[in-house]
Amino acid sequence: MSDDRAFVEWREVTKSFGGKAVLKGMNLAVAKGEVMYIIGTSGVGKSVTIKLLLGLLRIDGGEILFDGQRVDTLPESKLAPLRKRIGMVFQSSTLFDSMTLAENVGLPLRKHGKLGHHASLVEAKKRLEQVYMGEYAERYPAELSDGMRKRAAIARTLALNPEVVLFDEPTTGLDPVSARRVDRLIRELAEKLGVTAIVVSHDPPSIFGVADRVAFLYKGLVHVVATPAELKASPDPIVQQFIGGKSTGPMETPGF
Amino acid sequence: MIGEKAIHNVGAGAVRVAQEVGGIVVLTWQVLRALVPPRIDRRELFKNLYKMGNKSVPIVVLTAFFAGGLMTLQAGPFVKKLGATSLAGWGAGYAVLREIGPILIGLMFSGRVGANNTAELATMTVTEQLDGLRALAIDPIKFLVVPRVIAMVVMLVVLTVLGDLVALLGSSVVAKVMLDIDWSTMYYSFVDNLKPADFLTGIYKSIAFGGSIAVSSCYFGVTVRGGAVGVGKAVNAAVVAAAVSIMLLDFFLTYLSSH
Repeated sequence: MSDDRAFVEWREVTKSFGGKAVLKGMNLAVAKGEVMYIIGTSGVGKSVTIKLLLGLLRIDGGEILFDGQRVDTLPESKLAPLRKRIGMVFQSSTLFDSMTLAENVGLPLRKHGKLGHHASLVEAKKRLEQVYMGEYAERYPAELSDGMRKRAAIARTLALNPEVVLFDEPTTGLDPVSARRVDRLIRELAEKLGVTAIVVSHDPPSIFGVADRVAFLYKGLVHVVATPAELKASPDPIVQQFIGGKSTGPMETPGF
Repeated sequence: MIGEKAIHNVGAGAVRVAQEVGGIVVLTWQVLRALVPPRIDRRELFKNLYKMGNKSVPIVVLTAFFAGGLMTLQAGPFVKKLGATSLAGWGAGYAVLREIGPILIGLMFSGRVGANNTAELATMTVTEQLDGLRALAIDPIKFLVVPRVIAMVVMLVVLTVLGDLVALLGSSVVAKVMLDIDWSTMYYSFVDNLKPADFLTGIYKSIAFGGSIAVSSCYFGVTVRGGAVGVGKAVNAAVVAAAVSIMLLDFFLTYLSSH
């Protein structure tokens, strides 16, 4: 699907790992300010899809465009401007163990925001307060729960005020209350700041509560792109099996 | 069949070694390029200087003291028998400054600091913290590797100078206590016989050893694959690579300095 309004677009993207094709020419276009969820079974290439956009992994074939420019051809040394505009919250938070939360959030501010060390910590504390983590600013990641680390990681990603934020399973491993808070945060980012969010998720309440549109990845391709309501009403038995979480049905799931 | 397999294994081993040497050369080039212009993260640099240097002092002092003493102890009976006590300091000092100091401290440094560095970087790599840095538009080579390489080279030189002094002290103490050779005899034996070149040869070596420990420990850290098992293998590989490169470099530098 080619789209003039597309802010982020994957065109015929292929990617293999060790001879095993994960993406087989997938296409997806995300509009500016949209909250797009990418769903699908484990190992189908959802995380790979968003890592390809940032150049953390490289595509084998196809094109990836951001704001009208091809980005898949940029060498590592030219990717910094892209990565300042597109932030990513990893599944495993990836906070730096040797730094406090304030130092973690302050790091991008110090490296890119022209702030000194002390000023970056003051600003970082403000950012942490926005995700209700202000009182933990001096703590190290290892001392905190998964949910707290996730919130701090979100604060760090938002430190550079990115236009697009990629979330890799932001609610996985969180308790239901923390999960819904993350959902609300994603929605607020889109509505208040106009941030485009691309969210990889398995979590039905999150998908149906937050997404503008949902891309269902199946067998290395985008099987369907639809609004949550359209998805629920879809007559497609594969879609129905996935969103209903049924163990039997027409879906082919490698490994099971 | 067995022959074929053996040849295959030798070939595969050679390819792997070539890949790793190539990788280390590429990383060295990236580090050197990142130094022009020198935009080093000062906080990371100072943190590593402290962690790698200050905290290595006790083990270096201990090792150097006994290594120096050992030189005198080995040479002592011959020196006494020949009545050449005025050469006792020269023998010990020459060996310490040119060989034992840089090699022993280099190996201790590799075991303590290099292994620690590989484990830390490897854990950061397998837990995606390096990708986390890249996603924040921060180059892990510039931010993590360059300060570590500089800190290791600087600190190994500093520790070698310290170790040299402590080793000479150790050899004097052993000479006095166990062989009854006067402090002043040892002192004049050092001063009259040791040349700046002896000291400088050791320093050149420690710069080379520091560089090779630093780059190999960082290389195996950032290229690790496969979880906890991978981290263990990376540390192992880094320590072995550092020890081998210290021995090879020592051989070539000694050969060059004697020509």
